[in-house]
Amino acid sequence: MVDADNTPAVPQPPVELTPVADFLATTLPFDTLASSELARLLPTLAISYHTRGECFTAGSEPCGLRILRSGAVDLRDAENTLLDRLGEGESFHIDGLNAERGQVQARVIEDALIYFLPDTAYQALRQAHRNIDRHFSSQRNRRLRRAARYQPAANALLQSIRDTMSTNLLTVRSSDTLQAVAEAMTQRRVSSALVLRGTQLEGIITDRDLRARALTAALPADTAIANIMTTNPEAIEADCSLFDATLLMTRRGYHHLPVTEAGELCGMLTTSDLILARQNDPVYLVQHISRQDSPEGIKTLLEGMPGLVVQWSQSGMHAHQVSRVLTAISDAVTVRLIQLAETELGPAPAAWCWVGFGSQARAEQLFGADQDNGMILSDEARDADAGWFSSLAQRVCDGLQLCGYPYCRGGVMATTDSWRQPLQRWQDTVRNWTATPSPAAVMRVSIFFDLRAIYGDERLCAQLQRVMLQEASRNSIFLAALAANALESRPPLGMFRRFVVERNGEHRDAVDLKKRGVLPITEIVRLHALANGIAAVNTEERLQALTREKKLTMGDGRNLADALHCVQQQRLQHQCQQILAGEPPDNFLKPHGLPTLAREQLRDAFTLIDESQAAVRQTYRAGMN
Amino acid sequence: MWLALRRARCKRRAAGTPLAACWSHALPRGGAICAEVPFLVCDGEMSSLDPATGALLSLGWVTIEEGAIQLGSARHYLISGAQAVGQSATIHHIHDRELAQGLPAAEVMTAFLQEAAGKVLVFHHAVLDIAFLNRCCEQLYGAPLLLPTLDTLRLEQRQRERRGQACAPGALTLASCRERYGLPAHAAHNALLDAIATGELLLAQIAHRGKHTDVRLRDLR
Repeated sequence: MVDADNTPAVPQPPVELTPVADFLATTLPFDTLASSELARLLPTLAISYHTRGECFTAGSEPCGLRILRSGAVDLRDAENTLLDRLGEGESFHIDGLNAERGQVQARVIEDALIYFLPDTAYQALRQAHRNIDRHFSSQRNRRLRRAARYQPAANALLQSIRDTMSTNLLTVRSSDTLQAVAEAMTQRRVSSALVLRGTQLEGIITDRDLRARALTAALPADTAIANIMTTNPEAIEADCSLFDATLLMTRRGYHHLPVTEAGELCGMLTTSDLILARQNDPVYLVQHISRQDSPEGIKTLLEGMPGLVVQWSQSGMHAHQVSRVLTAISDAVTVRLIQLAETELGPAPAAWCWVGFGSQARAEQLFGADQDNGMILSDEARDADAGWFSSLAQRVCDGLQLCGYPYCRGGVMATTDSWRQPLQRWQDTVRNWTATPSPAAVMRVSIFFDLRAIYGDERLCAQLQRVMLQEASRNSIFLAALAANALESRPPLGMFRRFVVERNGEHRDAVDLKKRGVLPITEIVRLHALANGIAAVNTEERLQALTREKKLTMGDGRNLADALHCVQQQRLQHQCQQILAGEPPDNFLKPHGLPTLAREQLRDAFTLIDESQAAVRQTYRAGMN
Repeated sequence: MWLALRRARCKRRAAGTPLAACWSHALPRGGAICAEVPFLVCDGEMSSLDPATGALLSLGWVTIEEGAIQLGSARHYLISGAQAVGQSATIHHIHDRELAQGLPAAEVMTAFLQEAAGKVLVFHHAVLDIAFLNRCCEQLYGAPLLLPTLDTLRLEQRQRERRGQACAPGALTLASCRERYGLPAHAAHNALLDAIATGELLLAQIAHRGKHTDVRLRDLR
């Protein structure tokens, strides 16, 4: 206001800009500001209009934060790669982006009305509010990472072993005498000692071993402990959760479990370290399942499951942990059903292995997983034995259906003859599929390549997997076909900014989180794993192996893992809400009802999938379409 | 030219008033690039559509400088001293008791003329607002407003005529015009919010005329 005319200043009534404030209050990160602070920000804003094709680059005047009131803007780097697509309510600071990522250009792709916050006001805001500063200081990937890593008060059983294990270790040598080791254990007040050769774990000796193997056998006190120790004991990595450890220990009947870090001994976990807290703990459920005498008994036991999952989720269990638990439960159900069938049918006439495919194999099950399974029979099985195997398959698949794991609509089940074959024939099938990758074969393979032994002779499964990896990794035509399959389901990024929602049926306006989020990621990761001969099956383990062997950059690997966590988390929360509302859980999420942050995180995840698909197109389908 | 001539005729009567002070600022040239022209986007609310019987009840405005609406310049004044609002409150949402807290017309006009100096006024459907502002100025300073004015409604109408598009009834309301440029829906009905909405429309209209360095003030006439 210029007051050059020396006329007296006119009193200024307060100005209400409610619609502008209301709009800002729905956007990140301004939604965290108190309304009084928001009101103070308003007079610093300027509004401008930009038509399609207009660009903002580093040094575009004026310098500041641009918030999209309407329209859409693409952010691209110097190579013209799409970094992000912004829509209503989203903002960018072009100079900030340039400082972070090099030459970034913002191009208007849909006429845009922009609220402009000048740099001085923007910087002052960041200084005054830590959460706002944090929002802006991170780019998309980091925002996603935080979202994926964030965990509210974790369930005790989900803490890593590292926090619970004992590091007061008594180490001895295999040549030490019973007398010396017993004295050392008494003195240190520990119930076990670890036997090392150099830094390598060679064996373990416990109170019980001294009692059962030494005293009972009346061995002389100067006997070397090499004679009674358990050699090459199973160990667990320090990053595993207490749940993993408890499961392992109860299954194998261990009371002492050495803990390693990258293969090196770092601690010890004992049963007394474990807090087997409440009845609700998944460990108990798994144990109870293994004690049931009928499929009906298992079914009754599992009836409370949805409620339990909601409870776990609400107590802070993360989606990938929930899916691990659910997979452990479906494993336990399968194993128990097989054992029950074996009691009825008598012992197996030949070696065999029950394998799980798809999400069960990857340990990534959530609700509504149907059964994908098969049987690998030893090549020694005779034609006369076929009846035993098909009867067993029938009993187990029926039992799974009864327990809430519906029959596979595509017939991927041990009851289907082609999914219940001797190893040799399995291997021939794999060679056929990879040699002539018809679309149908590729579809089947994408399920088939994720397999895991659930019961029986694990070597059969390992042998089949070895052939699969050999055939796949050296066959670029097959990989290209697999890549085409991985690219088929596009993430719902949209023409611009909006989620592309399912266009027909009862799920109009909803996005299929499994089909458009989880599957593209698992397919991309599987493709990379197969191409590089990596045997891991769980998506996260595949990513770890890929980054360890430098097939993926650390950043790409972590971003894909984060994107998967994020989508799975939304999927789990959606399913929990449905359960609470008394609806059957599904994978169809309506994005409109989501809170702003969740929507942004999902969009980040989908953007990442889109970019990864572009990379797949480059690597495996260069020169094709 | 024409404005200058008419001002010259009224200059004696308006001498020493805020209106004369406002006139003393140079008028933006027709050849000026729009992005560099300062605009004052205004909207008024009246007790009737007839300036002879109605009164100006409120006045809201915001400036456009360097091609952007400056929210810091936004002002909204209620004008006291007008006759009872009566039933028309249903049209403009202002009630008598709110008007009682308003300022006298003279003070509001002083503030308005200070801000208008050297700027081009912008209205959506300027004829009505100008008629009321003129009457206000005549009463206070003995001369009409006589400031350069743009009308986003006329601008839209001429643009559509030039393209041979018919203007259906209702096609030129502020809301319909905004919709055509993809501007967000605005439900507001107070003078300031309407002024901001009009300003956004003007920016869109200018942007759609051509590259922002090419569009000149005279192109908007």
